[in-house]
Amino acid sequence: MSTSSRPIQPLSPTSAASPALRALVNLRWGLLLAVVLLALIGLATIQSATAEMATGFLARQVFWVGLGLLLLLLVMAVDYRVLMDLSVALYAIGLAGLVLVLMVGQMRGGARSWLGIGSLGGQPSELMKLAVVLALAKYLSRTDQPFLGLKEIAVGGAIVSVPMLLTAVEPDLGGAMMFLPILGGMILVAGIRAKTLLALLVIGALAGAGLYFFGLKDYQRQRVLTFLEPGADLQGSGYQVHQSKIAVGSGQLTGRGYRQGTQSQLRFLPERHTDFIFAVLAEEWGFLGVAGVLGLYLLYFINAAAIAARARDRAGILLVAGLLSLFAAHVLYNTAMVIGLVPITGIPLPFLSYGGSFALVNFLTAGIILSVDLRRHVNR
Amino acid sequence: MIAREYRDELRARAERLMVLLSLALVGLAIAFWSVQIMHGERYRELAENNRLRRVPIEAPRGLVTDRHGRVLVENVPSYNLLVDGSQVKNLEETVRFAAQVLSWPASELAPAAQRIKKGADYRPVLIAENLSLAQVSRFGVAGAQHPEFEIEVGHQRIYRQGSVTAHVLGYLGEVNASDLATRPELYEPGDLVGRKGIEARYDPVLRGRDGERLVVVDSRGRRLEEASRKPAEPGSAMKLTLDLDLQQEAARLLADHVGAVVALDPRNGEILALVSSPSYDPNVFARRLALEDWQKLIEAPHHPLHNRALQSTYSPGSLFKIVMGVAGLAEGFVSPSDTVTCTGATEFYGRRFRCWKRGGHGTVNLHEAIKYSCDTYFYRLGQRMGVDRIAKASRLFGLGGPSGIDLAGEKNGLVPDSDWSLRARGHPWYAGETISVSIGQGPVLTTPLQMATLLAAVANGGTRVTPHLVLGAEAPAKPLGVHREALAAVRRGLWAVVNEGDGTARGARLPHVEIAGKTGTVQVVSQATWTDSDTLPFEQRDHAWFASFAPFDDPTLVIVVFFEHGGKGSQAAAPVAKALYEHFFPADSTAVAHLGG
Repeated sequence: MSTSSRPIQPLSPTSAASPALRALVNLRWGLLLAVVLLALIGLATIQSATAEMATGFLARQVFWVGLGLLLLLLVMAVDYRVLMDLSVALYAIGLAGLVLVLMVGQMRGGARSWLGIGSLGGQPSELMKLAVVLALAKYLSRTDQPFLGLKEIAVGGAIVSVPMLLTAVEPDLGGAMMFLPILGGMILVAGIRAKTLLALLVIGALAGAGLYFFGLKDYQRQRVLTFLEPGADLQGSGYQVHQSKIAVGSGQLTGRGYRQGTQSQLRFLPERHTDFIFAVLAEEWGFLGVAGVLGLYLLYFINAAAIAARARDRAGILLVAGLLSLFAAHVLYNTAMVIGLVPITGIPLPFLSYGGSFALVNFLTAGIILSVDLRRHVNR
Repeated sequence: MIAREYRDELRARAERLMVLLSLALVGLAIAFWSVQIMHGERYRELAENNRLRRVPIEAPRGLVTDRHGRVLVENVPSYNLLVDGSQVKNLEETVRFAAQVLSWPASELAPAAQRIKKGADYRPVLIAENLSLAQVSRFGVAGAQHPEFEIEVGHQRIYRQGSVTAHVLGYLGEVNASDLATRPELYEPGDLVGRKGIEARYDPVLRGRDGERLVVVDSRGRRLEEASRKPAEPGSAMKLTLDLDLQQEAARLLADHVGAVVALDPRNGEILALVSSPSYDPNVFARRLALEDWQKLIEAPHHPLHNRALQSTYSPGSLFKIVMGVAGLAEGFVSPSDTVTCTGATEFYGRRFRCWKRGGHGTVNLHEAIKYSCDTYFYRLGQRMGVDRIAKASRLFGLGGPSGIDLAGEKNGLVPDSDWSLRARGHPWYAGETISVSIGQGPVLTTPLQMATLLAAVANGGTRVTPHLVLGAEAPAKPLGVHREALAAVRRGLWAVVNEGDGTARGARLPHVEIAGKTGTVQVVSQATWTDSDTLPFEQRDHAWFASFAPFDDPTLVIVVFFEHGGKGSQAAAPVAKALYEHFFPADSTAVAHLGG
């Protein structure tokens, strides 16, 4: 029914040839450049961070990056509207995955979050985020009002809440939290009245307080407390932040040199190939390396926003906005975490952190954004 | 249609969202700038401290040899067992295994286990010392299951001569709070420091300076590699004035007695032998965890830790007659030809004073009085001199004050005079006491070492030497300005004691070397009659002294022998001195050749 409500004209072979080529040539290649450079930097940093470890983290990540690039190109070739049409099915499959992982999933980092056979598999919650963005984009693009109504917000909230709660009970609180920026970013772009936003913020604050006192486990509460007073527990949960800040700070301007970081190489740094990989980079490449990588993320942001700005329809804009929000939330939270600006929780850094399904999600994200860009002229 | 979708509004909002996210990114960059550039120096320092750990390198303690270079103390490698708390998987299992290999009851390891549990600083905890090679290899073999055990090679002090040199060399003990407070630049907690003897007195010289290794460690405190090394400066070796042969012989002769021997060179104060008996084996203190042995030594009869040569004071008895004779002649209270008639007992101030010889010595001059050790002669002399003059002469010869030996804990003894009586006892000196003091009884107290310096001054013609144990140590010698003739007359008397057929120590005579000396027998309890002391209980028996020098013409050796409750000086002490002279001046060679080094 959604297809019929939107003014889509069938692609005619005669008119498509030259605009499609033009679209390819004028694609926002900057986004792809950022993706490739970040992925390469990620591989190099993983190599340094896991030099002391026996198993081949680098080889596995090279595989994931290769597979990711392939998927990126594949998704680019698929019309994003096709993906959105599949969103209901994807969402259902994702939910099934989340339920399945709760029953037969493997423990990873204290949460029953990993589904697979042997070493092949991944976290359903990561892929679910993409399904949520697609579903939300599809749903929110239906309205023809300048601002979202309460009904849209409520339904949108429901679309996000179900997988979010399922992820939270794994329990992977950090992963669950990352559903929120999707909704937030897409609501802001779709339009919301100031008083509605204010009401949502109040409700959110109350829900947050309720969660802190009734929904968190002791260790999670401890992390929040540690964040508020980092020096109090240096041997326990303050240790990670402390060691991470030492790693980052000791990098100074030019860094200690590739594979020369004492914090990383001597294992003072926890989770150094996953959540704290940015601290490894900061230690070994210094502020120059940090600024360079943040610059690549900025390049990604700018290109994604530009793609949104020239997308051909409301759905495309919302889709890119949701994906950008998801991507940016990971980047901002993770980098803020390694210097102790936010509480520690297991949120990886896109393209840098080690991890299969997370890497695939990031490549798919970029692929969908580029798919939107590739079809910007269609039916304009 | 297009207008109803509000696409332009959405596009504008998407751009604004991007601006917001980008600003957050810039904000983060500023935060990284703050951490890395503004506070980078501090974090770099923290990172260095994180990864570098100081490991001290123990400086080997200096060797100590006798005057001929024979080793008295040396260091041997010892194997200590440590436990690295960060490697412990199951503390109970660790303790059980260690107890089994060490064959200790597990309860002995409880304090160590407690320290491992508390050890938050990742420093390995010392569990046991001086492991046998078999034990070392058992811990080595168990390395796979028990990576927490570390074997550390240290230096252990070995006193080659054991109890023979115990009182000279002393021993080591763990540094205490007051050492740490007074010499913080020298000591660190856990250090071993000299506790007695040469080890204590010359600790700063012997200990050297510990070095330090900076090692790179990982987050679990495991040592990965060495970053830098400051080598230890080994302690300096020390050569003592002791003659090991003489020391061993003296220790052997004293072995089953309570007493002391001091042998020194009267020309310069170098101590050739210094023995106190009973003694102890300082090697038991080489282990830190030897509380039981320590307790045993403290409670042992006759206090083996006590150095009787300088830490115990005794009445000098008849040895004091040497001081009396020199002072009496020098100050003109008596001339060599003056005589006194001894009838065996004389009344002074209404009290009878007996001579040691029942029936008396008849008419005696100074020479004979010394030879026979006639008490009556010296009663008379003392009465003429008065206590204050006696005290002055005594102090001149070094009694009542430290000899200046390079060992700690020396006692001053006591030289009483009228001032002392008022000050210390609160009543005037009784004239009758002067009579007792004249023969070295009464309040006067001396150490065997003081007696040796006195004899040295008599032997060398009136110079007070500073007895010392370290070869080449600063040892001032002070001419006393005593009348040379007076000294010579007394020396002749001392010669007669040994070498004339009726001298009290005639039994000590040697055919090839002329010994001069004086016997002393100190009454411990006053007796109404001439009782034979040997029949009394040990604690009531007389002390025996023999103070001597040789060769008479050119003295190179002073020997003072003291036996606590040993009976008569002539019977107990003099034979020991004789044996030592025989040992030191062998009949078939000359003294000069022996002293060569």
